Amino acid sequence: MEGQDWVYSDKVKDHFLNPRNFLMGDESKFDYDAVGQVGNPICGDQMRMYIKVGRDKKGREIIEDVRWKTYGCASAIASTSALSELCKGRALDAALKIGAKDIDDYLGNLPKHKFHCSVLGHDALKEAIENFRKKSS
Amino acid sequence: MVYLDNAATVPLLPSVRKAMHEAEEKFFANASALHTPGHLAMNKIEECRVVLAEMIGAEPGEIIFTSGATESNNTVIRTFEGHVIECSPMEHHSILEAARLYHGDKLPKLYSYMLYNNETGEKLELPVRDDSSFVHSDLTQTLGKVAINVKDLGLDYATFSAHKIGGPIGVGALYVRNGMLFKPLLVGGNQEHKRRGGTYNTVAIAGFLAALQYARDNKTWDIYNQSVRKLRDALAKRILAEIPGSSLNTDVSHGESLPNILNVSFEAAEGESIQLYLDAEGVVVSTGSACAAGDGKPSHVLMAKTGDAEIAHSSVRFSFGLDNTMADVERVMDVLPGVIDRLQKISTIKRS
Repeated sequence: MEGQDWVYSDKVKDHFLNPRNFLMGDESKFDYDAVGQVGNPICGDQMRMYIKVGRDKKGREIIEDVRWKTYGCASAIASTSALSELCKGRALDAALKIGAKDIDDYLGNLPKHKFHCSVLGHDALKEAIENFRKKSS
Repeated sequence: MVYLDNAATVPLLPSVRKAMHEAEEKFFANASALHTPGHLAMNKIEECRVVLAEMIGAEPGEIIFTSGATESNNTVIRTFEGHVIECSPMEHHSILEAARLYHGDKLPKLYSYMLYNNETGEKLELPVRDDSSFVHSDLTQTLGKVAINVKDLGLDYATFSAHKIGGPIGVGALYVRNGMLFKPLLVGGNQEHKRRGGTYNTVAIAGFLAALQYARDNKTWDIYNQSVRKLRDALAKRILAEIPGSSLNTDVSHGESLPNILNVSFEAAEGESIQLYLDAEGVVVSTGSACAAGDGKPSHVLMAKTGDAEIAHSSVRFSFGLDNTMADVERVMDVLPGVIDRLQKISTIKRS
């Protein structure tokens, strides 16, 4: 950690400064099949994941594309960005298995008191997938 | 870098650095010792005591040096252990937490009201002492920004800190009016006339002295009131005009707030993210967001003032110092609108 001039790891910093797959502005700009939302602004963190579901060569349902929005801190932005990278192209069941720890590992560890941010991202994705299944069943 | 976190800590003044280097060389001895080097160190400490006393309208004997504002605040509150303690909701945690631990139902009562708040800069109405009450004020943010006279303010106790005026971190003072109740927090030494045990921190006190002399000789309160106020007001005006969804948490009209603090909330944008995007652009500010505090709670000051958690989470404090210029305001406005726009566009909250 010596010499690091930022409160977060380089990977967190990169995802915070250059977030991947975020949805800028109006949500009509992304053609999504389902959305999941967790948290609330009162607690200081809210996340929303939008998923577009397709099928792979074997006919399994996969997350073809993903976008997200957040009202939250740097770790909320970085963990949602990381999750969007981790889940893209994965089968829905596999995407559901991406846990908070996977996000934390991918980012090279969030500060301890920020771990809950990665939990929120995982919960938002889970809710989006559940909403998709409810809709299509 | 544009440093706008002066309410947290003011960078060391060059004269302070020089005074501390000199003290390290010349005043290294234990100031309680009766030999010549000890005596020289004590002279420096007493010089600081006289300068501070004169600046605030007190007697030198009414000044106790401490490790800073937290210790000064804790000491006063604990002196009133078991007594009724009434604090403003805007107080620093070192008052609120201590009051929670030590309050009781005995009289006399202690009031603890800061004169100016550290987060919003706003001025508070001080309670008036009577036969059954005493008044303490945390003047940590006030020192150097506004001329102080503790007698005119009607204070029995007052807290001061060196690092808010360009002195070192780790030294402050407590004013205790002659004849007031007092219970030492640190015991086991005769220092400070048995009011605060622990070897005198001569080097830090020498730094505090240089910072006080700078404030006194330059009448920094006049500079804050005139040129620093212009910067603060210019930033407020531009933010309101150029950034949609912005609202001031500081009343910038004359007499209502310190001239160097501006607290602003940006609708739908979270404070820690604003702080860190600005940091990446070389602009240094602070925030009342819970995420930044690390305790999961947004600023109690903004909650007390607005009752709105989203305003508190979305707040940013810009606090100016004597080194800031109008170019700094321009630099902030070069980057801030873009930062807020981006956060608002990726936000789950739609602006109303």
